[in-house]
Amino acid sequence: MNHPAIVIIGGGPAGMSAAIAAATQGLSCTIADEGFDLGGQIYRKPTNPAHTPAPHPRGENLRAEIARLAQHISVRTGDSAWGIFDGLRVAVTSPDEHTELLQPQAVILAPGAHELVPPFPGWTLPGVMTPGAAQILTKTMGVAPGKRVLVAGTGPFLLAVACQLIDAGVHVVAVLEASSRPAWLSLPLHGFRTPEILAEGLAYLSKLDRAHVPVRYGRIVVAAQGETELNAVEHAPVNAEWFPDNNRVETEQVDTLLLGYGFVPRVQLAQMAGCNLELRPDVGGWIPVRDRNLATSVAGIFAAGDGAGVAGSLVAALEGQLAGMAAAWFLGAIDEATFTAARDPIEQELARLKPLRRALDKISALQPGLMSLVRDDTIVCRCEEVTWREAREAICAGSITYRSLKMTSRAGMGACQGRFCWPFLSRLVAAEAKCSLADIGPPSARPPLGPITLGALASEPRDK
Amino acid sequence: MTNTADVVVIGGGVIGSSVAFALARRGTSVTLLDASTPGRATSASAGGLWSLGESLGLGCGVILHTAQKDAGDGPAPLPRTFMDFLWASNLRFPALAAELRTLCGIDIEAEAATGLLYLVYDEEQERHASRIIEWAGSDHGAVEKWMPQHIRDRDPLITHDLRSAIHFPGDNQVNPMLLTEALKRGACAKGARYIAEARVRAFRCSNGRVVAVESDKGSIACGAVVNAAGAWGAQIARLASIEIPIQPVRGQIICTEALRPGTLRSNLSTRDCYILQKAHGEVIIGSTTEYCDFNTGIRYEDMCSLAAGAIRAVPALRNVTLKRAWAGLRPGTPDELPILGPAAELENFFHATGGFRTGIVAAPLTGEVVAASVLGQTPEFPIEPFLASRFQRIYV
Repeated sequence: MNHPAIVIIGGGPAGMSAAIAAATQGLSCTIADEGFDLGGQIYRKPTNPAHTPAPHPRGENLRAEIARLAQHISVRTGDSAWGIFDGLRVAVTSPDEHTELLQPQAVILAPGAHELVPPFPGWTLPGVMTPGAAQILTKTMGVAPGKRVLVAGTGPFLLAVACQLIDAGVHVVAVLEASSRPAWLSLPLHGFRTPEILAEGLAYLSKLDRAHVPVRYGRIVVAAQGETELNAVEHAPVNAEWFPDNNRVETEQVDTLLLGYGFVPRVQLAQMAGCNLELRPDVGGWIPVRDRNLATSVAGIFAAGDGAGVAGSLVAALEGQLAGMAAAWFLGAIDEATFTAARDPIEQELARLKPLRRALDKISALQPGLMSLVRDDTIVCRCEEVTWREAREAICAGSITYRSLKMTSRAGMGACQGRFCWPFLSRLVAAEAKCSLADIGPPSARPPLGPITLGALASEPRDK
Repeated sequence: MTNTADVVVIGGGVIGSSVAFALARRGTSVTLLDASTPGRATSASAGGLWSLGESLGLGCGVILHTAQKDAGDGPAPLPRTFMDFLWASNLRFPALAAELRTLCGIDIEAEAATGLLYLVYDEEQERHASRIIEWAGSDHGAVEKWMPQHIRDRDPLITHDLRSAIHFPGDNQVNPMLLTEALKRGACAKGARYIAEARVRAFRCSNGRVVAVESDKGSIACGAVVNAAGAWGAQIARLASIEIPIQPVRGQIICTEALRPGTLRSNLSTRDCYILQKAHGEVIIGSTTEYCDFNTGIRYEDMCSLAAGAIRAVPALRNVTLKRAWAGLRPGTPDELPILGPAAELENFFHATGGFRTGIVAAPLTGEVVAASVLGQTPEFPIEPFLASRFQRIYV
C-alpha cells in the first residue's frame, strides 16, 4: 500500500485548502471525509443539481482546484476516519466496511465543528432539529424540513439557513436571535475592514425582509410543545444574560424548530492523538493548543479550521492553506524562506478578519439564562435518555467529572461519547457543583469516533 | 473539616473503596484519597466475577504460565488458597449488593446465574480443559463440560464450530464502576471522608510509623495508611521507602452498542478474548495482557484482534457496532497473587494492591481482611499467603 505524505481529515474549506497548498508543493495527500462529496457543511454540494440552493462559488472553486491536482490528491469521500493511533496512524473505514490504517508523515486535522443545542423542555420532540440538519436535508436530499419553520438561537448562521430555506420554498415563520438588537447594530464598528462580510449579512437581512420573515432580537425558545411531534413553540424576551421574562411568553404554531446556539469544535481526533487541549469558550470550548504555524503539541499533527476554534469558513480556508504550507515545510518539501513568504499574506488576511470575528463571538457568547430552561424531567443526555434530575443527583453525590458522572448517571455513555450533550451539560455541572469548566475537563475521546462494526474492524486487508 | 483520620486509604478504585467501606462500617474514621489518573484498572474492567475461571488459568496465569512454559511445564492453576479466597469473596456479592442498595440506592448489577463458559475450539484446548475440570474438583460447585448441542440450545448465537465448553455456574458478573461508586458512597454514608484529586506526594514518618500523609489537597495526620493505589502501588510504597514488586499490566477492551439485554446468556471466555453482555445491553470484549509501563493508549492491531476473536466466538457480532475502546492498567505481581496486609518496614503501613485480573471479584473480601488487619483483628480469611514479605527472598 502506498501511504500518502499527508492525511487530511475533513474535506471542508480548511481540509480542501490544506490539500491544495500541500499538493501544489508536490506532496501526496489523502483527504478523508464522511460526506458524499468534498465541501464540508458550508460548501456541501447538492446531490441533485436541481436542488436549491446552488453550490457556493467558493466551494466550487476549491473542488475544481482539487480536481486539477488529482495526481497528488486522493479523495476518499464517504470514508470515516475514526481513530488516530501512535501519533500518525489513521484508521479509515469505507462505506463497504473495509478498514485501512493510513500511515502518513503528517496529519492535518480539519474536522470542523458541530452545533450546540442546549436542553429545554420538549427539545427531543420530532420536529426539533439543528439548522445544520435542515441544511443537509435541503441541500443533499432536496427535502424541506417542515411546512412552518421557526429558526432560533444565536449567530449569523441562522440568517444564512433561513435564507436557504426561503429559496427552497419553505415557510419560515420567524428568526429569533437571543442577543439584543443594539449588540448586533454595533457590528459595523468592528467590521469596517471586512465590508464584504457585513454586506453578506445585510443581504441576508434584506432577503428575509422581502420574504416578510421577521427577525426578532432578544428572544429565546423556552419550550417546545407536542405529544408525539412538535406542534408549537413557546418563546420569550430575555435580558442581557438571556434569562427569559416568563410573563411575556408567546406561542407560535409550527411543525419544525431549528435551534442552534453556535458550534463546538470537533477535537476528538486531536485528543486521541495526545494533543494538548486548552479551554477557549469564546471559540466554542476545548481546542487543541497550536503554535503560530498551526502545529499541535504532537509533532507532525496540524489543526485548521472550525475544529481548532470556531471562526467560520473564510478563516478556515486561510488556516487550511497555512497548515498545508506548514506541513510541507515540516516534511522538507519547501524551505523556511518559502514558508514564511507564504505565511505573511495569510496572517495579514487573518488579522483583517479578526475584529469582526471577535465581535461576533462576543455577541453570540452563551449566557447563563439558557441554563434556567432545564427542568428536572428535561433530558440532558439523549443517547442514554438521562434526565437532569438523575444527573443532578449524581452531581450532588460528588460526580462532577465527565468520567464519574458518566459512570454513575450514564450521561455521556452513549455512542456520541458526550460530544452532543457534554458541551452544555458541563456548564450545568459547573453551575451546580460551583466549579469551573476547566476543572470538569472535556469528555474523553476513544476510538472509534463514529460507528463501525466489529466486522469492519476485523476485515482482512484488501490490497496486499 | 478535620485533617486527621484513624486510617488514610490511598486509591479510590474498587479496592480502596472497599477497604474504606469495611473500615467505616466498623466505626473507624477513614479518609479516602483519590487521584483521577487515567487508566485505573477498575474503569477498564469488564466486571466478570470469575473466581474459578480466572484462578484456574483462563485469564490469570498468563504471567506465570509464560514462566512455566519456558520451564516446559505447561499451564497450571494458581495456588488453591487463591481460588478459595476468590470463591469466598464472590459469595459475598448478593449480601453486599443488598446492603449497598439500602445504604446508597445504587444497584451494582450483580447478576446471578449468568455463568462463565470457556469455549474449546481444538484438541490442545480440549486437553487443557480436561485438566481444568480435574483441578476444579467438587469443592466449589459443579464445573461441567458442555457439548455443542447443549451450548446451542442455551446460547444459540455462540459459534457452532467448537468442540465443547466448560461451564462455571458460579462465575457471574457485576458493574465494576457502580460497585466502586456504591462502596465509596457507602463508606461516606458511614462517616468516611472522600477527597478527590488528592495525589499523595509524601509520607511523614516518625519512630517507624507514618504520622501524616502529604497530598495535593493538604496534609492528613493519621494512625495508619492503606496503600490501595493499584498499578501505582509500587510508586506509593516507594514514597515510604518500601519496595513491592507491582508492575502495570495493560488491558485493552472494546465495547459495543447496547443490544437487547439477554442476547448473550453466558459470559464467554475463549483463547482469544472474553465476551460478556452488561445489564444495559452493551457487550464488552477484552482484553489484552501486556507490559507497556504506564501507557494507557489503544493499539489498532489489538482492537482488530479482539474484534476477530469475538466474531469467531459469536459470529453475529460481525454486524454489531463498536462504541468505544479503552485501556486500564492492572496491578500485576510476579506470582499473580495480591499483596495484602501489613508492610514489614513500617508499623502502620498496609498494602491492598496487586489485584491483577481479579480485583473486582476480590474486592469484598479484600476490604474485610485488610480492615481487620489494620485494626489488629483476626481476618476471616488468612492473609499470610498474600503478605508482601513473601517476596523478600527474591528482592532483598
